[in-house]
Amino acid sequence: MVIPYAIRQALQSLLREKWINLLSLLTIASGLFVISVAFFVGYNIDAATKRLPEKFAMTLYLEDEIPKDKVEGIMSALRKNSSVSSVRFIPKEEAMRELKGMLKNSNYALEGFDENPLPDSLEVKLRKDAVTAETARKVSAEALALKGVKETDYGEKFLAALHSVKSGVKTVGTLLVAIISTGIIFVCYSTVKILFYRRSDEIETFKLLGATKTFIRAPFIIEGGVLGSLGGLVALAGAFTFYYIVIARLSVSVPLLSTLLFPRSYFLSLPLIGMLLGATGAFVAIGRLKY
Amino acid sequence: MTTDTSIMIEFANVTKHYDNQTALRDITFSIKKSEMVFITGPSGSGKTTLLKLVYSAERPDNGTIRVAGWDMDNIRESEVPFLRRNIGVVFQDFRLLSNKNIFDNVAMALRVRGVSEREVKTRVYESLKTVNLRHKADSFPRNLSGGEQQRVVIARATVAEPPLLLADEPTGNLDPETAGGVMKIFGDISAKGTTILIVTHNRELYKNTGRPVMRLDSGNLIEMGRS
Repeated sequence: MVIPYAIRQALQSLLREKWINLLSLLTIASGLFVISVAFFVGYNIDAATKRLPEKFAMTLYLEDEIPKDKVEGIMSALRKNSSVSSVRFIPKEEAMRELKGMLKNSNYALEGFDENPLPDSLEVKLRKDAVTAETARKVSAEALALKGVKETDYGEKFLAALHSVKSGVKTVGTLLVAIISTGIIFVCYSTVKILFYRRSDEIETFKLLGATKTFIRAPFIIEGGVLGSLGGLVALAGAFTFYYIVIARLSVSVPLLSTLLFPRSYFLSLPLIGMLLGATGAFVAIGRLKY
Repeated sequence: MTTDTSIMIEFANVTKHYDNQTALRDITFSIKKSEMVFITGPSGSGKTTLLKLVYSAERPDNGTIRVAGWDMDNIRESEVPFLRRNIGVVFQDFRLLSNKNIFDNVAMALRVRGVSEREVKTRVYESLKTVNLRHKADSFPRNLSGGEQQRVVIARATVAEPPLLLADEPTGNLDPETAGGVMKIFGDISAKGTTILIVTHNRELYKNTGRPVMRLDSGNLIEMGRS
């Protein structure tokens, strides 16, 4: 019986104190909207960087005139490494063909070479989740220890840049979410505290009538939760407007924007996140009050 | 302290200080179930403090108190609401919630106890009928006279049928005729077996009633007898 009553009390208070609640709701909605935009940006950067490892490959240059069985030995040794997904032998003739294809009209650069100057090589691809500068460095070191491998090239700078972009986005995103979430909790905390003081006479009467702390606290926690989830709904509406109207319209003049992804299922959890933050703020506020 | 089950309130050598002032000094008395007792005395004599000790709004500095079977020395903070459900309190300043109508004000005493809404409805209307305010259920406190508000407070204090009723100057703001009406209601409630403790300045309320009267002065219980 206490819960339906507490819900009714919370809803009545939301309507009775409409201005302070509206102000809090809009503040919470703004905070959650910023979080959703940060998530949108982070999600798209993450999706973009996830596609890059598929194209990543290491090149192992082999010694001149290396026997075929030795090449097979190197390849099977590399395949045993759990970070390696594939190893392909590229004979120097194929490498030259590829180089000529790349140079096209600048073939004169190769004039003067009587012989093919390129070495035989191996193209080593790593598993998607193993594409890190550290793993590449390890695989490279292991390969160099094998007899017949002269040199390796694994785009260290590219991997380092990829890693720093990903970790940078993650750090900034986490910080932003933490700061704004704390802000939302604080807004709910302050709102509930004000509402509590405004109702202190009522609470005093409840206590004298035999109300338990749960009976007194429940409506405030529900109110905080409802405020948070309403803020989440407004933020959700803002996020949909942002993507389907702003981004959709802009992508006509900036086609790159049409490649951006909008993970709807994640955004639908905004009211739930708001509810949790709101209820947390209210819970902290009520817990700290002496009554 | 006795374990006599016929006793509703028992004070043994109770002392209460506020800062350097003694509000009650070494008070000992007991009140039997179903009795209607008056506490009287000048302002500052400790009447309200005594009531506060009964409903555990204050704790004694010395002595022991037993109310409705609850030993107040050992009562935990979380148990106080359950003690208070045995006590109905009629405040001099009414303490009605101005943003709630009369029905909801009375219903509050049942809702804090987790009574179902269906039962709340039946019992509130019954209680309002007892104080002759059934027709005012939808009104708000501001639209009621002082006497009517006092009757609402009595309805709220008795709707859950607590075994003990405390009243702090229940007729303090009322004219003699209305005060008479309120006292008649208390008489009816007492007749049903509820123990009632009434704090009053007004001698007319207990004169020639034959009810027990406790007289306090400067925190001392100076007299306990029948009117």
